[in-house]
Amino acid sequence: METPAINALAVETIGLTKRYPLTWKRKVLVALDHLDLQIRPGEVFGLLGPNGSGKSTTLKMLLGLVVPNEGVARIFGLPPDSLAARRRVGFLPENPYFYSFLNGDETLRFYGKLCGVTGTALEKRIEELIDLVGLQNGRERPLRSYSKGMLQRIGLAQALIHDPDLLFLDEPTAGVDPLGSAQIRDLILRLKKMGKTVVFSSHLLEQVQEVADRVAIFSLGKKILEGSLDLLLTESRDTQVQIPGELDSVRQEQVCRLLGQAGIDPAGVRFSRPRLSLEQLYLRTVQTQPGVSLRDSQPRP
Amino acid sequence: MITSLHRIMVIGRNTLTEAVRRKVLNVLLVFALALVASSVLVSQLATPDLDNAGLFDPQIKFVKDFGCGAIGLFGFAIALLSTAQLIPDELEKRTIYTILAKPVRRSEFLLGKFLGIVFLVVLAVALMSIAFSLSLYWQEVRAMAYADSIYDVGFSNFPEVVDKVHRYEAEEAQIQARGGDAAMQTQAIRALDEKYRREEAGGGAAKNSVEEETNWERSKDTVEAYDRDVRQIHDQIRDPQLIEAILLIFAKLIMSAGIALFISTFATSSIFTIVTTFLIYLIGHLESVARDVWLQRGAEVTIWQSGLLGLLSLLIPDMNSFTIVDEILAGNHVPWTHTFDLLGYAGVYLVVLLAVSIVIFDYREI
Repeated sequence: METPAINALAVETIGLTKRYPLTWKRKVLVALDHLDLQIRPGEVFGLLGPNGSGKSTTLKMLLGLVVPNEGVARIFGLPPDSLAARRRVGFLPENPYFYSFLNGDETLRFYGKLCGVTGTALEKRIEELIDLVGLQNGRERPLRSYSKGMLQRIGLAQALIHDPDLLFLDEPTAGVDPLGSAQIRDLILRLKKMGKTVVFSSHLLEQVQEVADRVAIFSLGKKILEGSLDLLLTESRDTQVQIPGELDSVRQEQVCRLLGQAGIDPAGVRFSRPRLSLEQLYLRTVQTQPGVSLRDSQPRP
Repeated sequence: MITSLHRIMVIGRNTLTEAVRRKVLNVLLVFALALVASSVLVSQLATPDLDNAGLFDPQIKFVKDFGCGAIGLFGFAIALLSTAQLIPDELEKRTIYTILAKPVRRSEFLLGKFLGIVFLVVLAVALMSIAFSLSLYWQEVRAMAYADSIYDVGFSNFPEVVDKVHRYEAEEAQIQARGGDAAMQTQAIRALDEKYRREEAGGGAAKNSVEEETNWERSKDTVEAYDRDVRQIHDQIRDPQLIEAILLIFAKLIMSAGIALFISTFATSSIFTIVTTFLIYLIGHLESVARDVWLQRGAEVTIWQSGLLGLLSLLIPDMNSFTIVDEILAGNHVPWTHTFDLLGYAGVYLVVLLAVSIVIFDYREI
């Protein structure tokens, strides 16, 4: 029976393994090797790793699209291929293609009806989602005329159509321009505020760093590192001090002397100017251009 | 259960929308052109044959043969090509992931897709049948005009003559219906005949009673022959058995689509599906021929032959029984019970086919 466990983990896998036999080579490809994973409700979890490291396979098994050879996966305590589990899950596939002959509204209506959302509730939900992902200009246009970024956004909207508790996003920012991917990043943060659990894979590490609570790094089908970003990224026990204004060499020496008096070895002190990341520079430049509304890229309260 | 049917319906409607928006039905324009061309061709090639009893037999039969043949052919092309692409398209574009990640069972997905094809074939066959009816109607108008032109020779106003003879026949029938004494009836009919004979009509003014008599008898004979021909034209063109023919063609198309769907659940390319379905279709036609040939030889049938036949008839549908459509087109009577038997056979075959397809598709890695 599909009875959800109380206070269940959003995602739990035990020894999850997927092997693909390569008959013509008489070999077996291990796409995923004994994965143990626990993701709590409300977490934003990043799956990292090179191509072919098992991230997409993991997501597909968590959706019941691929059957594991070994191990179990549970979604809120339910088997992933049960309808009950899938009612609570939204999925954005990698490089999503949808029915190119439908327009934005029709696409959402189609997926909504599949999830059992109908009538005025569905129309209301479509309005909300179009607004949420900022696709007002794509409602009447067929999807074949959509840009990559628009496809990702309609993909996010369809993943959210039945208001799921858990979202799987496979490379949600792949091939999207920096502004578009910043919008998707903001959307993930907004979903987190709404209490949703988000599991996503990405190659854009800086973005993962900005949104994820915890990450797991995969390589060759194995999880090789997992943990909270705060813990993983805090390096050694050094301390950074930031001062307004420039320091010339004379004043730098004065600072070193003062630190020396406090018992700190001046040889270990480094002076540097804080830098913007290129992404920050790009976003700052593009967003101040007329015609690009900040409203589109900023999360609304 | 209801939500499951709802999801199947949603997927079916979407599949139909896809086919329509991809302009699959545009191929029917070619069908319409072919129909028009065939009608024009037949009117130029064949001249009506007065000496034969059936005035327009060959022409009308040609148009019926061509129309039903074209519905079968175009329907087969639409059903086969659309079905063969259903699953490969979904897999290639990965739209299947977005659907199966929703609370949708694989069986619902497959049945929904097939339902869409059924909708498409219904729509295509309906549109083609309308075009076919129009071409038949045109043949009827042409045939009637030709009949008029043949029979009105020697009459100044043939429609009036027809009208007069029909009125006479109606009154004669009334007298006969009243019943009563036979001698009285004969007398009444003779009086009626006399009345009509004298009536001035399109037969031309009679100079004496003999000519009057000849004119009236000629009118009656001509109109009788004319009526017989008109009835034949109507019988052939407004043949209710054509509905049976269209239903049987439709059943065959849906069976072909079912075979294509079944193959595409394990095929890796749509070309494979198309070629294999086509082969099964051919074998399905030849299977009963082989059976007939072998069984005629009686005792010579080996256990291998009968085993092979048994296996074939179990695996491959007997498409040849649907050639009963040719009998209908030849004007022979095919009882509805026989048609219902065949429709039932198609239905059972389809249910089994879909069930096996669902099982295979459930296990398929996507």
